Amino acid sequence: MKQLFGAVSSLSRRALMVSASAAVIATMTGMVAQAEGLGTPDKPVEVRMIANEAFANQWQTLMVPEFNKHYPNVKVTIDGVPYVELLAKSMLDATGPSPTYDIIIADDPWVPQLASVGALLDLRSEEVKGWTSEDFDWDDFNVAPLAASEWDGVQYGVPVRSNMLMMFVNKSLYEKAGVPVPTPKLTWNEFLEQAPKLVQDTNGDGKVDAWAIDTYFVREPLTPTIWQTIMNSNGGSLLDENGKPAFNNEIGVAALETHKKLLEFAPTGAISHGFSESLQAFRQGMVATHINWGSVFKGSAIDAATTTLTPEQVGIQVLPMGSKSAGAHRGIWSGAVSAKSENPEAAWAVLQWLSSKEGEKWHSANLGVFPARKSTLAAEPSEPWLVPVFDALQQAYDAAGEGKMWRIRHPRSDAAQQVLADEHSRFIAGQVSAEEALNVAAEKIEKILK
Amino acid sequence: MATNTMTAGEVRRARSPVRSKLMDAASRWAFMAPAAIILAAMLAYPIIYTVEISFARFDLMTFSAVEFVGWENYAHVFDDYRFWSSMRVTLIYLAFALPIQIVLGFGIAYLINAPWRGRGAVRALFIIPMVVAPVVAGGIWRMILDPLWGIMNWVAGLFGVDGLDWFGDPTLAMASIIIIDTWRWTPFVILIATAALLALPRDIFEAAEIDGANWWSMLWSITLPLLVPIIAATFVVRWLGAVKMFDIALAATYGGPGGATNVINLFIYEEAFRSLRFAESAAMAVIVLVLTMVLTGIFLIGTRKLEDRY
Repeated sequence: MKQLFGAVSSLSRRALMVSASAAVIATMTGMVAQAEGLGTPDKPVEVRMIANEAFANQWQTLMVPEFNKHYPNVKVTIDGVPYVELLAKSMLDATGPSPTYDIIIADDPWVPQLASVGALLDLRSEEVKGWTSEDFDWDDFNVAPLAASEWDGVQYGVPVRSNMLMMFVNKSLYEKAGVPVPTPKLTWNEFLEQAPKLVQDTNGDGKVDAWAIDTYFVREPLTPTIWQTIMNSNGGSLLDENGKPAFNNEIGVAALETHKKLLEFAPTGAISHGFSESLQAFRQGMVATHINWGSVFKGSAIDAATTTLTPEQVGIQVLPMGSKSAGAHRGIWSGAVSAKSENPEAAWAVLQWLSSKEGEKWHSANLGVFPARKSTLAAEPSEPWLVPVFDALQQAYDAAGEGKMWRIRHPRSDAAQQVLADEHSRFIAGQVSAEEALNVAAEKIEKILK
Repeated sequence: MATNTMTAGEVRRARSPVRSKLMDAASRWAFMAPAAIILAAMLAYPIIYTVEISFARFDLMTFSAVEFVGWENYAHVFDDYRFWSSMRVTLIYLAFALPIQIVLGFGIAYLINAPWRGRGAVRALFIIPMVVAPVVAGGIWRMILDPLWGIMNWVAGLFGVDGLDWFGDPTLAMASIIIIDTWRWTPFVILIATAALLALPRDIFEAAEIDGANWWSMLWSITLPLLVPIIAATFVVRWLGAVKMFDIALAATYGGPGGATNVINLFIYEEAFRSLRFAESAAMAVIVLVLTMVLTGIFLIGTRKLEDRY
């Protein structure tokens, strides 16, 4: 019995040792693999990112050091490129035999264009799942921002800088005009009824010095997003279920005319106003409402160096309601990994941290960047001024998700957007009727999307 | 003796006209080859590549021309009203900007040609607009002409002119582009004109003075005829610069309102780098290149004829 016990015992010990050795080897192999993927102190991994110059420098100096507290062996270099050149440069690089960039930061309509040329990695593939942290909660993202980096049923990116077209309100000018401060229930009809009262002489010198609204009117690709939002909130859409233009109808025409009507209550010269000019008009207290990207809130209400307004004066909300819903328009910057990256695990680690619950919290608290996760939006914000912003943002995400309020998603979406900008501008300048502008745009876009 | 005959034969062969010509050509080409190779690489290759793309389907996946499609891209371009509209806008811009700059440039040069203290410093100041980047110039003028904050409307207001919407009205927007371009390039014309005026032979003017010619007679009958070849050459140089202009429009008006300032090169730029329609853009670039070459050729012939005449 003793011998038998001894034999069994010896066998068990040997088996245990073999198992233990196997486990150690397996663990070490795993560790080596992980170390190689995410670098070691002796052999750090380098990843390069191409991003909009508007925030590339801020990320390099503030975000990267924070990321390196968690991943010290991943060296991140961010190259900032002007917005107008970013898509072309990203495409040119990603389609080359050995791309420079491991990470591409793409604007809302660009993912289909990049994905269709095979430039991006499927972030939910089996391979990437192995590099994804277990607590990375995909379901926690709001649908609208996450959908910005999805194309043909494949998730190519994660939202890293979320933004939505919002309406900013100068409450003081509303009070001066004796008009009730708007709420998210305000409709376009109500706004247009109130607008004449909001064009006012605030200092009594006999000259108008405050107007009802300022926003995009200039000839540029983002201007039609205002028209589109009005159209979407009235139940219209850019494309039908077959992907053909569906905007050249009564709803589209009415929305275009509404956008032009806003010019009657906008500052002199507003026809050439875009992002910067309308923003300046609002920050200098010249307009009662301002439609622009939500991310400008901090600089418009909080930072005394960039605004004449105080946090108490500034409201933020979704765009006025149409017959169907409130309005919003999605403008998400998504982070994607180049399909040809030599360090995809490290590249994904950067994006994963930046879009994680922890990364989002740090990002919004320190850089004022809007989060995309439901949990971040529902939690107590780090700064009191973020409370109304987060509320409005959640409403905007819901409206955008429900009304599909985003630009055309197609490998040739930028060409289509440029056509919209051209025709929209011709109508605004009074060169053609709304019907003609939309019919020409529809005809051209149909050819482009074929 | 035999050795001497051989040597003489060799010398003859060496001095034969054909061999001599070949040697001469070879040595010339040897000197020209480095420059020719660099020129071919830097200039001819991009042009040939643009022409190739213009006749092909451009594949974004490989970022190259993949399939010959004949004149298809050109047909798309000719079918697009925006192309014709941009060509018309470019023509309007050139028709106004070039004569204004030439007349102003030579006029100012003539007026400041008299010797006076500080003339050198003023001439140096003329260089400033030329060295300002076009995008910066466009941005600065956008601020100057802004109806809300700009100084131009404030000054106009002093004279009772109110509410000029420089970038909102199609005609004023084109006028703005011409003003900015004129501000930028008239000094260049002034510098050339000043140099030309200083080089004019003094004895003719002295003789005219002795003959009792007045200021106008001297300008009309002596200065202008003598300057005609220079004016024509300056026009050609400015034409080549102006036809490329797009950055000022991009910075000041974004081509608007409604395409009123969308010059052809801005349209090509937008189609290529915003819409990623490289093949159609290449076709447009080739059309513009051919047109520019033909018109430049005509201008050069005209310049030569003027030189012969005067």
